[in-house]
Amino acid sequence: MIEAIALTRRYRDVVAVDRLSFTVGKGEIVGFLGPNGAGKSTTMRMLTGALPASEGTARVAGFDVFEQPLEVKRRIGYLPENPPVYSDLSVRSYLRFCAELKGVPRRRVAPEIDRVAERTGLSGALGRTVANLSKGFRQRAGLAQALLGDPEVLVLDEPTVGLDPLQIREVRELVKGLAGEHTVLLSTHILSEVALACHKVLVIDGGRLVDFDTLEGLIAKHLPGRSVTLDDLAFLEDIYGKLVRPADSPAHPPGQPAATAAGARP
Amino acid sequence: MRSMLAVARKEIEVYFTTPIAYVMLAVIAFFGAQFFNGALDAYRFLALRASAFAPEAAAGLNLTDRVVVPLFGSVAIFLVIVSPFLTMRLVAEEKRTRTLELLLTVPARPISIVLGKWLAVLAVVAVALGVVALFPAVLAVAGRGAGGGAAVEWQTVATGLLGLFLLAMMCTAIGLFFSSLTESVIVSALLALVLLLALWAVTLFAIGVEGPGRDIASALSSSERLNGFLQGRIALADVVYYLSFTVLGLFLTERAVEAHRWA
Repeated sequence: MIEAIALTRRYRDVVAVDRLSFTVGKGEIVGFLGPNGAGKSTTMRMLTGALPASEGTARVAGFDVFEQPLEVKRRIGYLPENPPVYSDLSVRSYLRFCAELKGVPRRRVAPEIDRVAERTGLSGALGRTVANLSKGFRQRAGLAQALLGDPEVLVLDEPTVGLDPLQIREVRELVKGLAGEHTVLLSTHILSEVALACHKVLVIDGGRLVDFDTLEGLIAKHLPGRSVTLDDLAFLEDIYGKLVRPADSPAHPPGQPAATAAGARP
Repeated sequence: MRSMLAVARKEIEVYFTTPIAYVMLAVIAFFGAQFFNGALDAYRFLALRASAFAPEAAAGLNLTDRVVVPLFGSVAIFLVIVSPFLTMRLVAEEKRTRTLELLLTVPARPISIVLGKWLAVLAVVAVALGVVALFPAVLAVAGRGAGGGAAVEWQTVATGLLGLFLLAMMCTAIGLFFSSLTESVIVSALLALVLLLALWAVTLFAIGVEGPGRDIASALSSSERLNGFLQGRIALADVVYYLSFTVLGLFLTERAVEAHRWA
C-alpha cells in the first residue's frame, strides 16, 4: 500500500533521508521510530507529497507520489507534526473546510464531520474557536481532519503529542480500530504506544533504515530467549485510568467508578 | 473548482470574524464621506458663483463630473493603500502557522488555492465598492440635474466603479504575491505597499523628464490608467494594463506556493 523506493532527501549538504526503501502492506499498522532529526517527518512529508524527494520515489495505493500526486492525495489522510489548524475558525468550520478540500461529497460533509468528531472526542467542542482550545484538542482537531473522507492510508506524525494518558489510549484504540481496512504509518517517541498498537516497527537513524520487522520478529532478533508480555506495559495507565476521569467527560456518573467511565481495558 | 470555493469561503469567514474587513470598510467609508462632503461643498460654492457671474457655465455644471469623479479618484488611493493589508496574511500566515502543509497535501491544485484566496479578498473589495456606490446613489435621490434631469450619469458611475474594481484586482493580486514570498505579514504588507504606491505615483519620478521617459512613466502609472474609467471611457489598453498585472501577480503567487514545497 505504501512503497518507498530509495527515497532520498537532501537539504543542501545535509542528507536527511538516505535511500530509504520499505513496503507497507494493506491493513498494516506500522510504528515509525527514530531519534529526533532521524528523518521521520521528512519521510512522511515526502510520502504525502508535501515535499519532493531529491532522489528515489514512493508509491501509495499503486500511484506514484510524484507522477500522480492528486490520486495519492485523495487516498491519504495526513496529520503533520504541527496540527494544521486555523485559530480564527470554529472546529466545525475548520473540519468543513478540510472536508470540502478533500472532495467529500457535499451531502456527506455534515455526517462525516460528526463521525470524525465522535471518533476523536471532539463532539462537544465543534462550536468552539480553535484559538481557545487546549493543545490536546488542537491535536485532536488535526487528527479529525486526517480521518475525514475515510482515506485508505493514514500518515500520522506524532498523533499523541500533547495528549494526556487517557486520550493517548483513545487515540491508540482509534488507530487499532482502523487496522484491516486502513493502512497506518505513525511516528512516535513513546515506545509502549508502538508495542500496544502496531503490527510492525520501522526504525530509522540518521536517515537510514535500521530495522523493519514485526514485533515478534524484533523480539526474536534482538532479545533472544526473553519472554515479553504486552499486557504488563499498560499497568500504570490502568491505575491512572482508575484515579482520574477523562478530560472531556464533565463528571462521573453517580455510583460509577472513573475507570469504567473511561472504558477500562478488558 | 470546489476547493477554490472552499478556500474562498474560509477566507471570507476569517475576514469577517476578525476585525480586518471591518476596519478596512470603516476607513473607506470614513474617508469617502469626507471627500464626498468636501466635493459637495466645492460644487455648491462653484454653482453659486457661476449662477451669479456666468449663467451659461452654470448650466454646464454637473454632479457626476464635479462630485462623483473626484470622490472616486480619492477612493482609489485608499484602495491602493488598503489592499496590501487585506492580502498580507493570506499566504504568509499559512506559512507561519504551518497550515500551508495541509493545503499542499489535499487533492487540490495550488492554482485553485491561490484563486480561492484572491476571490475572497475581491469579495471584501466588492463590499467596499458597494459602500462607495452609496454616495452617487444619495446624489441620485437627493440631487437634481442642471436641466432638471437626473443628477447622476449612471454610465459614468458604472465605468468608474469598473475602473476601481480593476485597480483593486491588480492591487490584491500583487499583494497576494508578496504575501506568498514571506512568513511575515508585516514584510509582505510593506513590500506590496511600496510597489503599489510606486506604480500609483510613478509619474512623479518622471517630472522634468522629457520624451520617452515620460511616456513610459505614464504608461506604467496605475493612476493615469484610471482617469479614462472615471471620465466614462473604457479603453482596451487600460483594461489590458490592469489585467496584465493581475494575471502576472496570480501566476507568480502560484509559482511561489508551488516553490514552497521545494524549500
